[in-house]
Amino acid sequence: MKKRCLAMILCAALALSALTGCSGGTDATQASATSPGESNTGSQEQKPEGSSDKTVYRVLYSSEVETLNYLTSSSNVEHTIGANVIDTLIEYDSSGDMTPKPGMATEWSYDEATMTWTFKLREGMKWVDHTGAEIADVTAQDFVDAMKYVLTPSYDSGTAYIVFDTILNAQEYYDGQAGEADPIDFSEVGVKAVDEHTLQYTLKKGAPYFLSLMTYVCFMPAYGPLLEAQGASFATSADTMYYCGAYYISSFEPQVQMVYQKNTTNWDAEHVYIETIQRTYNAEADTIGAEMAKRGEIDFTNLGSDVVDSWMNDPATSDMVSMGRPSLDYSYFYCFNFNVKKLNENSYRDGMEGYSIDEKYEPANWELAVNNENFRQSIRHAINRVSTISVNTGDNIAPENFMENTITPKNFALNNGQDYTSQPAFADIMAKDSYDKDLAIQYKETAMTELAALGVTFPVKVLVRYNPSTTNWEEECVVLEQQLESVLGQDYIDVIVEAGPSSGFLGEVRRASNYMLLLCNWGADYADPETWTDPFYQAANGDGTYNRGSRYAYLAYAIEDNTASADTVKEYFRLVEAAKAITDDMDARFAAFAEAEAYLIDHALAVPYGVSVSDFVVSRLNVWEGQSASCGVSNLRYKGQKVYDHFISMEEYEAGLAAH
Amino acid sequence: MAKYLAKRIGRSLITLFIIICVVFILMRLMPIEGYFKNFDKMTDSQIQAGLKEQGLLDPMPVQLLHFFQGMLRGDFGVSHSYRENVPVTEVLRDKLPVSVKLGSLSILVSLILGIPLGAVMARFKGRIPDKLGTLFIVFIQAVPAAVYYLFIQMYGTTILGIPLLFDAGNAKSWILPVLSMSLGNIAYYGMWLRRYMVDEINKDYVRLARAKGASGGSIMFRHVFRNAFVPMVQYLPSSFLNTVIGSIYVESLYSIPGMGGLLVTVIKNSDNNMVQAIVLLYATVGVIGLLLGDIMMTILDPRISLGAKEGGR
Amino acid sequence: MASIKDKLSKNLEDGIAGQMKKEADTLAGMSEEELFTYADYDEKEGEKSGYSNYSYWGSTFRMFLKNKGAVCMLVIMVAIVVFTILQPYLPGQMDPNLVNTDPDRFVPLRNVPPGETFWFGTNSIGQDLWARIWTGTRTSLFIGFAVAMVEAVVGITVGVLWGYMRRLDFLFTEIYNVLDNIPHTIILILIAYILTPSVKTLIFAMSLTGWIGMARFIRNQILIIRDRDYNLASRCLGTPTYRLVLKNLLPYLVSVIMLRMALSIPAAIGSEVFITYIGLGLPAATPGLGRLIEEGRVVMMNAAQRYQLIYPTVILSIVTISFYIVGNAFSDAADPKNHR
Repeated sequence: MKKRCLAMILCAALALSALTGCSGGTDATQASATSPGESNTGSQEQKPEGSSDKTVYRVLYSSEVETLNYLTSSSNVEHTIGANVIDTLIEYDSSGDMTPKPGMATEWSYDEATMTWTFKLREGMKWVDHTGAEIADVTAQDFVDAMKYVLTPSYDSGTAYIVFDTILNAQEYYDGQAGEADPIDFSEVGVKAVDEHTLQYTLKKGAPYFLSLMTYVCFMPAYGPLLEAQGASFATSADTMYYCGAYYISSFEPQVQMVYQKNTTNWDAEHVYIETIQRTYNAEADTIGAEMAKRGEIDFTNLGSDVVDSWMNDPATSDMVSMGRPSLDYSYFYCFNFNVKKLNENSYRDGMEGYSIDEKYEPANWELAVNNENFRQSIRHAINRVSTISVNTGDNIAPENFMENTITPKNFALNNGQDYTSQPAFADIMAKDSYDKDLAIQYKETAMTELAALGVTFPVKVLVRYNPSTTNWEEECVVLEQQLESVLGQDYIDVIVEAGPSSGFLGEVRRASNYMLLLCNWGADYADPETWTDPFYQAANGDGTYNRGSRYAYLAYAIEDNTASADTVKEYFRLVEAAKAITDDMDARFAAFAEAEAYLIDHALAVPYGVSVSDFVVSRLNVWEGQSASCGVSNLRYKGQKVYDHFISMEEYEAGLAAH
Repeated sequence: MAKYLAKRIGRSLITLFIIICVVFILMRLMPIEGYFKNFDKMTDSQIQAGLKEQGLLDPMPVQLLHFFQGMLRGDFGVSHSYRENVPVTEVLRDKLPVSVKLGSLSILVSLILGIPLGAVMARFKGRIPDKLGTLFIVFIQAVPAAVYYLFIQMYGTTILGIPLLFDAGNAKSWILPVLSMSLGNIAYYGMWLRRYMVDEINKDYVRLARAKGASGGSIMFRHVFRNAFVPMVQYLPSSFLNTVIGSIYVESLYSIPGMGGLLVTVIKNSDNNMVQAIVLLYATVGVIGLLLGDIMMTILDPRISLGAKEGGR
Repeated sequence: MASIKDKLSKNLEDGIAGQMKKEADTLAGMSEEELFTYADYDEKEGEKSGYSNYSYWGSTFRMFLKNKGAVCMLVIMVAIVVFTILQPYLPGQMDPNLVNTDPDRFVPLRNVPPGETFWFGTNSIGQDLWARIWTGTRTSLFIGFAVAMVEAVVGITVGVLWGYMRRLDFLFTEIYNVLDNIPHTIILILIAYILTPSVKTLIFAMSLTGWIGMARFIRNQILIIRDRDYNLASRCLGTPTYRLVLKNLLPYLVSVIMLRMALSIPAAIGSEVFITYIGLGLPAATPGLGRLIEEGRVVMMNAAQRYQLIYPTVILSIVTISFYIVGNAFSDAADPKNHR
């Protein structure tokens, strides 16, 4: 009997120990969950369904930030934090004219001779903590301290490379700290606080786009003494950072919620209309967000492309759907792989044998085919982007809105109010869609004759890879396969769609050169066409080899292998180099870059695709009221936006789109 | 018994050590992309420098040694990407109680409902209660949890008139998550208890007892139930472990900040320190659960012996 | 009367006593070695006393056939399995991966409700749901069967050894502890990383971890009955271990093993649903039921698209229920106690 009792006790203990044993911890969570929850539940109770008190904005989101540290983060989700709680030297308004407006700096000037930018800071700006209490004044030194933080290797800043490319001695200082070069003193880096309200940046090379960089997170200020005290723990929670932007974070509980409160000490507080932004985390936001919006429990959620059609077709919900702002700084293009040889970890072929692509896909055959321009042209003209993009847009939105005929997206860079893509060099390219069935077949016939003479066997196998964790990418590939084979015929190409690993995709596929045709993307680093040459251009090393560059299509191997397309690639590289050399004359610079890009496209070294299809959203904000710029974090700001008493409809959205 | 226990505990420690080493090595076979924020635009020398900075280029035994040194000091390092630079222990301290509380409640509910369900089904085998119970069990087995969880959430909240998401301060909002998590276990306990009890009812001693004129109820509960419960005990430790693991579906749907899916996330993000600590936690609970399960079995059924001494081969 | 009875019994007693005496005399005349020798184990001798026209499997099937509901489910189960195999060869079937497009604009025909062209409608990118569901069922069943087989073979073998051999208990328990506590996700991700996601990979990954549970289950069952008297008796009689396991232990467990096997097929499909949920599932080109359900679940709250969830879920439920009921009925039938 005794034994039985013991057993029962053990049983009970198993089930109960958790409850009793952890009661201490339990209380703690309850306490912490209710205190910030007050504003949450409070706002929900006040609000009957459908109406809005206009100062609280409730968002449901599914990707949680890993850190609040705007100085080190490189993800868009995390940049939203920096954008809203930290101000930048300059700002853009909602018009999309790309003209810098005063932000923290009231005036600025550039000295050509010393390549120095001088910014005059606004007076009376304050740092506040997570309760909104004032801590200190914002001074020029805060920008210097923040940059030192960005350039400290152990903090592993994801945006430091932007500083390397522009600021004098930044790379040298970083490498010195990392022990890869002789250490230099931070005072030699091109950033200086002349006095409390004067900040100077010295550039490494002529950079006509420098001002556009000022809205980037790596040029944001941070309170120096706090950085010093916190080190790597800076901005790991709401109380380990200070704020100077439109909002401060009053509560951050990872995987639960984040609350922004309006910062009344901000210099531009009168243009901040939303008082509280209540962001609630839900891993299944895609599934339940729509329902929550219908019930009036939230003011914003993303809508998956698979349900958009039924929302748009249902009269009860059709006017609740709108879209996010089209992104101007991110574009997609198809890369042909010019290297099918195995690469070592540094992306060189030294010491490696064989092919990077499985022999069953006949890489040797591909190598001959891809270096034939007519072959590439046939594929370029056979790709019908409307059908692949429509996988993401649904039936009610024209896919053409997201299609780009150039690698550089429209409205990305302006010169005297003229869009870069309206350069004369692009006239033919912009005139019509590259999809042309008849032209594709013409090229196919020429290519077949030429390639048959070289001993290429048909159909040429075309290995297309995708990352299974990217929404709809696989479906796009399936559509592409069908569409290409139906235009060009299965006697000519055999498109093979194969999944890559969902973790480590880029390393395994793009960098390892394990694909034939791949949809690649590039995010602009600054508002200048030069940034769009980075994926393709590879600098010569002087000994006949080329720098690895960004490891996109390995164009330079076409030269090193002395293939049929060597001259084409050489000419493209030459055009890029010529354009890069022009830093003082913007007209000439834009024209030169346009010429290089047009050459790239005309010779089908890469095929432009489009910008990402904006998310469909159910939202009470009118996106067109927010700041707009082609790069930096301006687009992520809530400043200037108002909460409407209804969900924005597609008509309202499109009216805004037309106005811009 | 005491000697046996001491041995088992000693061995469990070795097991834990092996688990940690294996997981440690496995994690370092994963792609290196996860270690960097901006892998896309990094040069090779930056990648190498970054790996070196994170101590990932050291020989494996050195890395392991560092880990164990830290572990003995109670230092599991900081999270690399889940919550950057926040100590792992702090992350777990926030999350663990939530899941444990929810999980324990759900086990209680499943035991309270599942055991009677199985017993009643066995008692009335082939009759209406058995058929109704089977229907329930079959339904739970047949429809994927991800589907009926969502159903419960969508319609349950409407019926109860509460918001869709969980709110720890609102007692009502506990009902649906706990119920969702219990359903599977109720069906599971019910099904297996019924099975074991039916097996037991057919045994000779039951027939004998019946022949002797013992009442049906007393046979069922004094003999059949008790014997059938012995093999059931083995499920308790794993249920206990599940409370620590949390439910990825339920926690995701209701925004409950618990352990559910945490391990999956950190593995995918190559957050090695987090993985290591969570694996250690789960393994410890798992090993303890196994041990407790074995001990409970011997206590409940004296015919089972675990020690190596008594006979056998 | 009484005397006759007494007499008879006395005679009988005498007879027996006489016989015993005779035997005792012969025994007494034997040497020690002759008296106590190990009899060689003889399988025929072992079966001799146990003969009856009772056939275990025959009775099992007879019992099973009595359960009309289960037989009905078995028919459905077989029909589904046969249909999934035959479906692609039937006339008028579509390619499950073909994105049906509007012939003019090449725009996919998405979310077309069930109708004449598309019997089960199309999904959100325009693929025929009917064809996908049957392809998915085929894939999922194949995975389920394969994993269940591996689980059964490896799991039972290891489980028996683990439970029966006391000396191995320590070793197996520790191996179990190690294997069971290495998160399966790590293994799944690693495998998905080393090999590309495919049916084979998934079977490999699921088998690699799946047998552990079965082994532990068998081990616990064995542990419970290992030292029961009849096994002790068999051991004393010198029955070889393999025979003891095959004839004494396993038949006792057939009913529970059957139930567990029947459940492990739906369980394998269930874990495919989970693996898809965490983003490591099969590629869309080889859809499994898990993927179809996950795709349907996301659109569940839209009445117009709900059919995308209902169809695959119904098929999965039918498969699961038929396996469950058939498994249960078979397990009841396999229990000799129920044979009459």
